[in-house]
Amino acid sequence: MPLFKRKQPSFEGGGLVLFMDVGEAMRAEKVLKKAGYTIRLVAPPPELRKGCDLAVEINLVEQPGIERLLNEKDAPYVQVAPSKLGTAEILEIVKVTDFGDWVMVKAANMKLSFEKKTGLIVNTSGGGCPDIPYLHAEMIGKKLDEAPRPKDVGFTLCALMLDRALDEAITIWQGEN
Amino acid sequence: MLLIAGTVPIPDLPLTIGKVSLNHAFLEIEGHRIPCTQGTAAMISAAAVTTNYLGIDPPQALLAGDTGKGKGSHELYEYLIKNIAEICPQTLALHYCLPDIGLMRRLCEAVTQYAQRPVMIADAASMYAAKAAYKAQEFDIFTPDASEMAFLADPEATHPAYIARHLFNTEASDIPELIKAAYINKGSAKHLLIKGALDYIVRDGEILETVSQPDVPQLEAIGGTGDTITGMVAAFMDAELEPHEACIIAAKANRAAGQYASTTPATSVRQVIEHLPHIFKENLCQWSGVCYIEGGKQ
Repeated sequence: MPLFKRKQPSFEGGGLVLFMDVGEAMRAEKVLKKAGYTIRLVAPPPELRKGCDLAVEINLVEQPGIERLLNEKDAPYVQVAPSKLGTAEILEIVKVTDFGDWVMVKAANMKLSFEKKTGLIVNTSGGGCPDIPYLHAEMIGKKLDEAPRPKDVGFTLCALMLDRALDEAITIWQGEN
Repeated sequence: MLLIAGTVPIPDLPLTIGKVSLNHAFLEIEGHRIPCTQGTAAMISAAAVTTNYLGIDPPQALLAGDTGKGKGSHELYEYLIKNIAEICPQTLALHYCLPDIGLMRRLCEAVTQYAQRPVMIADAASMYAAKAAYKAQEFDIFTPDASEMAFLADPEATHPAYIARHLFNTEASDIPELIKAAYINKGSAKHLLIKGALDYIVRDGEILETVSQPDVPQLEAIGGTGDTITGMVAAFMDAELEPHEACIIAAKANRAAGQYASTTPATSVRQVIEHLPHIFKENLCQWSGVCYIEGGKQ
């Protein structure tokens, strides 16, 4: 039996914010910590390195909220990437289902449905992050082009996928009217 | 006792634990009123309707307000890790939260140290966290939809937004391949109820049954109709049905309630839940082989 057990890291986020230089990484760490995010400075794997040997590990699910905050605070970064090598790119494709008077647009795990005639959002479904029920309440009953954008008020990858669905829904609706 | 843990989109709701009751369009818990909408509230509502019909104790809920910043999710998981042995649930159903790999690992470790292991059910982001933390096999039941099934089948993905494109593009007929991949990759719980045009009930990688009728495709568009299935599964598990029976009955009841409500994509989940008691009364005896008198076991 080994005398010493390898200590598991206290935080496993699954995502890395990558930078061009150490100063940018230190600034981002400060901004994110002040906002209450759980993060840590780590060395990125050589395959992901973008000029700086320091990265900020984040909970990848929080990518949209973190990118928005860094942009608002003028904290430059190169990109956010999954820390596991071999992870696919973020999904860009959508699927569309025609229900007659309504259309449902699906992006990854998120779906948004609207009425063709009025452009009113009648439902959102799918997902599992805590901002999704909030966005559901905020978006239903609003017109597609007047509803709050999930990427602006949500914090998670579920919200980002709902935003993709909203984008496509707006394109479809504007094409039909 | 059935404990359902998850977040609700009420920013100032403190961490709250207690029995829930249904009051029209609201859940009531410890003096708080929570609207019955998509997410944990829909799941609890369906579970409460089911336990009420079966005449068993109503679900307990552990709730925290969270609109995406994660504070409520962290408090909820930390509370569970610390108190799971004392709470002592027979069935633990984990639902909406900010998925956190480290906290999910710690919760699973806390559960294994607790002598009376509960039936473990996960849906929504708690399922994402369990898979990403390589703890899927410690769960008894997951209830994914087709895109979430692709996520469970992708060994590298930590969220459905990052699944491989070819997996997202799979058709309904490819679900059996995703099931195989998820079991090989250890991304699946022991049982799966895969929600879709055809619902699959799976045990250890083997498809036990499919449910296709009544066909109500509009249900997919309605926020919360997956949550209602998981709520019913949790309630039936607490009534000591076998996992595959709980899954089959929940899948059938959800479809039947959707049909009875004459759903469109604009229907609310509450309108579907309202019909569950009638559906149970009409069908539960036949579906389960065990007949109940409303409000008490026969």
